[in-house]
Amino acid sequence: MSPRQLRHGLAVLNQHSLLYFDVSSDNGLTVYEANTDNAYNLARIGKVLEMVDTSLSPSAKDVMQSLLLSGQTRVSDLVAAYQSKIDYANNAAKLVKHEEDDWPELNGANGDVQVVKKPDTSISSTGQLNSVLCRLVEAELIEVVHKKTFLSPQDILRDVEKETLDKDFPAGVKGGKGKIEYQEKVAEGLRKVRDESKSLKRKLEQNGTAAKRRKLFSGVGISNGNSAYEEEPGDPSLDPKQVIRINWEKCLVELRNRRLYQFVADMIGEPTAYVYAVLLKLLTKRLARCRLDPAIDIKEEGEEDIGVGLVTTDEILDNLKTGIDLSQGLGKATKDKISSKAAEAVHEHPPKKKLFIAEAEVDGDASADEEDEEGSGSESEESDAEYEVRGRSSAPVRNVTMVKFANAAAGKEQRLDRPGQLRQHLLLLAESTQHFVRHCGPDEWTVDFVPLMHTLCEAELDSVIEQSSGKPGLRLVRLLRDKGKLDEKSLQNVALMRKAEVQQKMLQMQTAGFVHIQEVPRDNKADVKKSFFLWFCDIEKSATRLVDDSYKTMVRCLQILEVIRQREKDVLMLTKRTDVKGREKDVMRKEYYDRYSRFRENEKKLFAQVMRLDDFISLLRDF
Amino acid sequence: MAGNEADDAAKIAILKDALYDEVRDHGSESRLFSQKDLMELGIIPAGNLLLLVRVVQALTDDKLFVGVNSGAGIAWRWRSREDAKKYTSLPNDETMMVYAVVDEAGADGIWNRTIKHKLNMHEAVVKNCIKYLETKGFIASMKNVEHPNKKMYIKANLRPSERATGGPWFTDGELDSAFIAELEDIVFEYIKTHSAYLGNQGLPRDAAGLRAPKKGIIKTEGGEPSRGVKRPATEITNDDQQVAASGPSSKTYHADGTAVTTAPGGRPRGKVYLPMPAGYRHYPTVLDIAQMINDAGITNNTTLGPHEIQQLVDVLTYDGLIEPIKVNGRRGYRVTRPTKQDTVAFSERQKQREQTGGVLIDAPRMGVKPPANGLTEAPCGKCPVFELCEEGGPVSPSNCIYFMRWLDIEDSAVARPNGVMVV
Repeated sequence: MSPRQLRHGLAVLNQHSLLYFDVSSDNGLTVYEANTDNAYNLARIGKVLEMVDTSLSPSAKDVMQSLLLSGQTRVSDLVAAYQSKIDYANNAAKLVKHEEDDWPELNGANGDVQVVKKPDTSISSTGQLNSVLCRLVEAELIEVVHKKTFLSPQDILRDVEKETLDKDFPAGVKGGKGKIEYQEKVAEGLRKVRDESKSLKRKLEQNGTAAKRRKLFSGVGISNGNSAYEEEPGDPSLDPKQVIRINWEKCLVELRNRRLYQFVADMIGEPTAYVYAVLLKLLTKRLARCRLDPAIDIKEEGEEDIGVGLVTTDEILDNLKTGIDLSQGLGKATKDKISSKAAEAVHEHPPKKKLFIAEAEVDGDASADEEDEEGSGSESEESDAEYEVRGRSSAPVRNVTMVKFANAAAGKEQRLDRPGQLRQHLLLLAESTQHFVRHCGPDEWTVDFVPLMHTLCEAELDSVIEQSSGKPGLRLVRLLRDKGKLDEKSLQNVALMRKAEVQQKMLQMQTAGFVHIQEVPRDNKADVKKSFFLWFCDIEKSATRLVDDSYKTMVRCLQILEVIRQREKDVLMLTKRTDVKGREKDVMRKEYYDRYSRFRENEKKLFAQVMRLDDFISLLRDF
Repeated sequence: MAGNEADDAAKIAILKDALYDEVRDHGSESRLFSQKDLMELGIIPAGNLLLLVRVVQALTDDKLFVGVNSGAGIAWRWRSREDAKKYTSLPNDETMMVYAVVDEAGADGIWNRTIKHKLNMHEAVVKNCIKYLETKGFIASMKNVEHPNKKMYIKANLRPSERATGGPWFTDGELDSAFIAELEDIVFEYIKTHSAYLGNQGLPRDAAGLRAPKKGIIKTEGGEPSRGVKRPATEITNDDQQVAASGPSSKTYHADGTAVTTAPGGRPRGKVYLPMPAGYRHYPTVLDIAQMINDAGITNNTTLGPHEIQQLVDVLTYDGLIEPIKVNGRRGYRVTRPTKQDTVAFSERQKQREQTGGVLIDAPRMGVKPPANGLTEAPCGKCPVFELCEEGGPVSPSNCIYFMRWLDIEDSAVARPNGVMVV
């Protein structure tokens, strides 16, 4: 490889954040390191784009896609690229189908922004591009690239530690107290570095438009039409020199929300899942990443819970799409069969923060009564007044809320008990054995992500076990998880299974890494014949094993794809010709076209499989 | 002198009967009587210890009394006359001793090696005795669940103890899987119908632009028949053509904008089990279920107590079919994933099962299939040679027949030599 090629290669890799590098201050040598996390993230491109498409807008997806293809980009370059595209689109009467089918290969093509999409999803003016970018920045899906972005985490840690030592502890760190102080200082430094990438968002927020915009945005966020995304004059134009890239961590948070939504839909039901999705969306707005970094996110005294705050019922109601029928999805039971006390129970865990539980419960009851009233006295002015009072007292800032309430009360009678229905769904979520939400205060809800994701992992593990070892296997594993370590005999007794069956299943699952065995000798001689053999299962271990297997399977899928590509090489070569591209069906001979479409079919299948594997991996590893 | 002796014998015989009857009145067969107890019965005149000894000796000889070495010295318990007769009818001492050992073991039974060990007799002798006793119908061989390979003996007129039989779950020393399975079915059905609300699931309102979530299915043309691959949300972006082709119905937006691709399996819409509102107080408890089972009289010769039902319910919980839920300290059980459960009535399902010979087509016996998973559905997830598979090895992705079958590519093509590849 010539130095030129090498330099070019490094540049391209850098462009896509696939490398860390550090220029040593001593001798000017540059050290490179592979950024495997980002490399893996490439497998998630499709998912992220789809997420942006549905949760923001098709045009946002388009911008995201361009960003993905070009790696980190200067704003001005992006604008220029789109400008030429817009011109092209305006000039060309006919749109050329772009080569989306080849997009995985396009990754290497530096700055090759040629994505021409269907007219209704693409950007029609640079102003629109600007506002789309602003939205993405506000959603933290795009972050700013700065000097330290390219340092590996270890290097950053080293730098910050050195700096802290030089600045605050010139005499060295002494004593336990000093150590803690030092750690805090380091964490603070790390946090500062991390927050640097959010500078653009902060700037937007300072402009004061962000808050307002978000409001409008979430209100119309799902309409398919393009009109809502026309240029909005209030948007500040972004600094053209700013370099931006995709913030994978935040994307992961969004993906996790979707996953949780699916989980709830599966466990409880769709209407409840809708509610949950809204709750999660509100809750995670300020959540930057799924997993906290132990080195950085040390709690400071007086600081609120990092990331997760709480959401009130009213907020959820405000953001719930009006088309969702909340009366669906719940069973009916007469009032005497429901214990409202149990349902409304407020759990102020994590227990560090104290809440006046008695008071909270009284409040809860009171609000329930209120809702009843709302239900009965529908169109009277009194209820409107009550809404107003509530709106003001609970959240004086959110005047909009109050207005909405009043409107709702005046306009739609049939949905008057909507807040009540919403509460029912939320309470159901709170009561679930998976603890999807926590009723952390009267009408306040939050999610304990760490234990919840743990449960979710277990559930996913369960489904793998059930699919590979059947119900008996699942029974044995869950039994062990519940009871701890057991010998074979008690296993048979509790599981109500035959000895042979248990033995066979356990062996099978041991090979698969779902259960493990421990030998406990009865005496010092450790006679094997006399030893106890205890079965147990280690979730952590099984999960790691499954993740490894999934990586392997993922690679297999891609390898198979390559095999098929090789096999259909002649056909694919043909489709690469510029006179064939886009008109494959008309130009190619039928026999060839059939082969081509079959290849496409298989390719789709394999990519889908890779995506699903990633679903699995991200759940076990990242969420 | 002779007359005196005869007189004595007659006296002892009378005292014997009197003492025996008195003892029988004072306790069950298992009660131990010490010498003091016997004396205080007031049968033996004037506290004549010598006389008591003689009477007791006579009774023991008749096998009506059994001497037992209790903690506080020797004591006796009585034995019924029928049993005693069996002893006295035995031909020799060895047989009698063997019978005594088996008798002592009671309902738990005894292993033949233990008998030998206890009596310190030759194996052949023990064998002979056992054979004799068995043919006479005094003892019977039995099976112990805890030691299925040991040859155990029990007195013929006793029923093996619960410990030996393993309780109601065992029939003839074997775990009665069919019985358990049936009961599991019934318990699950009961919980399902009593912990969820059978209601109509209307379609989400269309007016607001919300479409009914449909299951996105990739039809595998000519591939695995009737297998719908659930379409992952992500795949939509992979190919815009497909989205365009399948039209907007494959995607549904909701409040959050998240595309909805999940939906209850291919069932026709209509009746659906819905979760009960939070705080529902009537989730069935173990006692409820035990009551139901007993009332229904399904188990006509075994009674299942709450303990047994708890075992069943625990198993169902481990199967992930039901989950415990505590409301106001009342521990009830409810079905998991209620909306996914089928609403076919139990009797209907039974009928269907009878028709198909016990096999339900495309449905698990109880509950629902586990959610699909990317790993287990790929050929690799079930591949028997997963660990061996590597490029250059005997099995490798480039010659993987499972994948080719999965993708529905002819096997013959696999053998083509130019399958070399680099990734």
